[in-house]
Amino acid sequence: MATSLVRQTKLLSIVTSQLSSAACFRNIHCTAACLKNRAARIRVAKGDKPVTYEQAYHPHHIGHRKGWLSQHTSNLQGEDGAAERVVEDVFIRRFMYGTFHGCLADEIVIKRRGNLLVICAVMIQKLLPSKFYFLIGYTEELLSHFYKCPVKIEMQTVEEKVVYKYL
Amino acid sequence: MASSCSQALRHHVCKSSRLLRVHLQKSWTNRSFEGAVCVSSSFALNSAADQQPAVSSPEEIVIPKKKTWSKEAVLQALASTVKRDPTASDYRFQDDPYLTPKTSSEFKLFSLSQESGRNAAKYFINTYPKYFQKDYAQPHIPCLMPDTLEAQIEEVSEAALIERIGMRKVKAAVDLYDQLLQAGTSVSLDVTNQLLDLICFYGDHDPAQENVPEQRNEETEDVQDEPQAKKGRAAKASDLLKATWKEKNNAERIFALLSEPNTHSYSALIRGMVKYGAYSKAFSTYTDLLNSRLKADVHTFNALITAAPEVKEKYNEKWELIVDLLKQMAEQKVKPNLLTLNAVLKALRRCGTVGKSQAFPVISEMKALSIDLSLASYSHLLAIFYKPGAPIQGQTDILQEVMNEVSGKSFTPQDPDDAQFFITAMRICLDTKDMEQAYRVHELLGVGENWRLLGNDFQQNIYYARFFSLLCMMENIDVMLKWYRDLVPSVYYPSSNVMRDLLQALDTDNRLDLIPQIWKDIKQLGHANRQNLVEELLTLMAREKHNQEVQESFAECALDIKKIYDTGDRGKVLLNWTAGSLSDLISVLLAAHRRQDAWDMLKLFKTHNRVPSEELLNKFLMCVKEDGDVNQAVELVQISAGFCLPGTPKLIQRVQQEFELTEQQRKMLSDLEIQSFNSE
Repeated sequence: MATSLVRQTKLLSIVTSQLSSAACFRNIHCTAACLKNRAARIRVAKGDKPVTYEQAYHPHHIGHRKGWLSQHTSNLQGEDGAAERVVEDVFIRRFMYGTFHGCLADEIVIKRRGNLLVICAVMIQKLLPSKFYFLIGYTEELLSHFYKCPVKIEMQTVEEKVVYKYL
Repeated sequence: MASSCSQALRHHVCKSSRLLRVHLQKSWTNRSFEGAVCVSSSFALNSAADQQPAVSSPEEIVIPKKKTWSKEAVLQALASTVKRDPTASDYRFQDDPYLTPKTSSEFKLFSLSQESGRNAAKYFINTYPKYFQKDYAQPHIPCLMPDTLEAQIEEVSEAALIERIGMRKVKAAVDLYDQLLQAGTSVSLDVTNQLLDLICFYGDHDPAQENVPEQRNEETEDVQDEPQAKKGRAAKASDLLKATWKEKNNAERIFALLSEPNTHSYSALIRGMVKYGAYSKAFSTYTDLLNSRLKADVHTFNALITAAPEVKEKYNEKWELIVDLLKQMAEQKVKPNLLTLNAVLKALRRCGTVGKSQAFPVISEMKALSIDLSLASYSHLLAIFYKPGAPIQGQTDILQEVMNEVSGKSFTPQDPDDAQFFITAMRICLDTKDMEQAYRVHELLGVGENWRLLGNDFQQNIYYARFFSLLCMMENIDVMLKWYRDLVPSVYYPSSNVMRDLLQALDTDNRLDLIPQIWKDIKQLGHANRQNLVEELLTLMAREKHNQEVQESFAECALDIKKIYDTGDRGKVLLNWTAGSLSDLISVLLAAHRRQDAWDMLKLFKTHNRVPSEELLNKFLMCVKEDGDVNQAVELVQISAGFCLPGTPKLIQRVQQEFELTEQQRKMLSDLEIQSFNSE
C-alpha cells in the first residue's frame, strides 16, 4: 500500500509539472471559490429585502458614493503593517458583532490616529443605556489590553435600522 | 509700488540676509499681490531696524536667551483656546441623546456601569493572562499588561516575604513571616519594618480585592462583632473604615518579637494605632519609645498630634498636650512639615476659643520654618473661625484675607483634606451671604489644576448646590439664569430644593413668565414627582393675572402637570391631588379661558374627595357668565349644593339675578335655596 501511495504522489507531481509547463494555468483549487465580482454585492431580488446605504452600493462605488470602513496609513508608499491592520480589523469587527449582539445597525468604521484606535459604531436602541455603557467599558478595556494601544468607542444610536431601499 | 520695491531691492541686495532672499523667492513665485505687500512691509521693517542702530548711540543689543519649548507646547496652546462646552455632558459619556444622562441618578448609574464593565474586562484579563502577553507596543506600556495576582516565589524565604508585601497580601505575609521564624531564619529589621508598615496601614485586614469574589466570604467570617451586612461591598468598605485596633493583633505580636525595634518600627505601630482609633495605646507606645531613648520621626509626631484631642477633655488641656508634643519635637530636632501644621490646625478645630487665639501664631511660626500652606490648612483655618450653625459676629474679613492669599494660585494635592476647602468656603459664603467672595472662590476653581481639588461627585454636588442657593438669594434673575444655563445640566444636576429656590428667585424678580421653561427642566431632571415642588409651581402660576400669551403658556403647562397627576402607566399613582392644587390648576385654566378643560377638572373634586373653595366657584361663575351658558351655571349651583358649601345661597342669588332662567331652572333653584336655608 505504501508503494501504491508513493506511485500516486509521483504521478500527481508529474501531472502538475506538465500542466504548469504546458502554458495552461488551470490549477487545483484548494479553497472555496470567492469570486471578486460577487463580493459585497446584494443582488436585486423580489423587493422585500431591506438594505442599508452601505449594503446597497457595490464596492466599485467606494470613493465615489461610499466612504471607507477602515482608515489607516499602512497603504501609503513606504508604510508597512497593512496585513496586520487587516487582521486586527477583522477581529475587531467580529468582536463588536458578538459583544453588541443584535444591536449593530450598520458596519463598524475603524479609524487609527497615531496610537489611538477609534471604533465608530451605530447602534439600535435595543438595550438600556446602562447596559450599553457596561459593554462599552468592557470592550474598551479588553481591546486596549489585547492590542496594547488605547481603544475608544464612539457610539451613536438610532431607533431602528435605517433602510435605504428594498431590493 | 513696483518701482519702490525694485529700488529697495537694489538698496538692500548687498546686505540682504538669507532670510530676505528666501522670503523674496517665496512671495514672488507664489502670489503676486500679497507677495508684494509682505515684501514691502518686510522691507519697511528691515529699513527701520537698519536705521535705528545708526541713529541711537552704540547701545548693547541684548539678545534674549533662546526659549526652549516643551514637546506639548503647541498642544497646550491650542487647548487653552477651547473652553468648556456648556451643551455637552461629561467627557465620560457618549455624545448621543439616548446615552446622555439627564438626572443625577442616571449620571451615577451610567458611570458606575461603565466602571463595572471595565472591572469585568480586567477580571478576564487577569484570569487568562496568556492571551494578553504579546507585546506590540514600543515603548512598552506596563499598564496594558495583565496583572500578576498570584505570588510567584513559593519557597519560604525573605524574597518571598518582600514579594507578598509588595502585592499587599497582609495575611499571606504574616503567615510567611511566622513560618520563617519557626524555621529559624532571622528576618532583617528592614523587612520586618516593611511588614509592620503593611499591617498597620491595613489594620490587619486584607485590602478589598475586587476581582476575587470568593475571598469576601472568608473575610466576613473572620471579622467578628461586625453586623451581618446584606449590602456586600458597600458595607464592607465602611466596615474597614470603622475597623478598630483589635486587642491582640499581629502588629503588636510581631513588634514584641523584635529584639531591637528602631524608630521606624515604633513609628509604624503608633501610626497604625492612631489610624484605627487606639489613641491612649498610641501615647503609651510613645512613652515606651522615649524610655528606650530613641528619637521619634516627624510622622510619629503628626500621628500623635492628630490623636491629642481624643485623649483629653478640656480645651486648654488639649492645647497643652499639643504644645508639649511640639516642644519635644524641637528637643529631638525633628523638623515639622506641612502635615504637622495641618494636624495642629485640625486639632485646634476641636479646641473652641483656644483654637481661635492660637491659630494665627501657629501659622506664623510654621511660615518662619518656610512651610507653605496648602488648601487643607486654609480649610481648617476657615472651619476654626466659622463654626457651622454659629451666629456670625463680624468675622467676615478672615474669609476675605484667605481669598486674598489664595487667589490666582494653582495648588497641588498635598493633604487628603485639601478637597474640603471649596465646600467649606462655599458654606461660609452661603452663611455670610457674601456674593463677591463666592465669585472669587469659583474663580479659583478655574485656575490651573485646582479643579482636581473639588473632590468626588458627591462633594461637587454639595458645592454647586450651595453656590446656586446663594445665587438665587442674592443675584437678580438674569445673572442667575446665565449661570443656570452655563452649569445645568452639563456640570450639575440640581436637586428639588435648589429648583424651589430658583422658583422663589423668579417670584422675587417678577419673571413668572419663565415658569413653563423651568417646568420642562424639572421634568427632565426627574423631579416631577415631588409633591411640594409641583404644588408650589401651581400656586405661583395661579396667583396673579398676566397677559394673554403668558396665560396661554401657563395653561399648556397646567395641562401637562395634570397628566402627571393622572395614574401612571402601571396604575401607580405618583402624586395626590389636594384641594389647593386642584383649585390652582382650575384657576389657571379659567384665566386662559379654557372652560371645557376647567369643567372636566371640576368633576375631579368629587372623585378625589376634595372640597372646592367658595372663591373658586365664584370665579367659575364669572367665567361662565362671560360665555352666557345658563345650563352650566345651574349645574354649578347644583355642585355647590352637593358639597353643602356655606356660600351656596349667595351663589343661587347671583345666578337668579344675572342669568335668564327657564321655569324649570327657576323652580330647581328655589328648591335648592329652601334646602340650603333649612340645612343651616
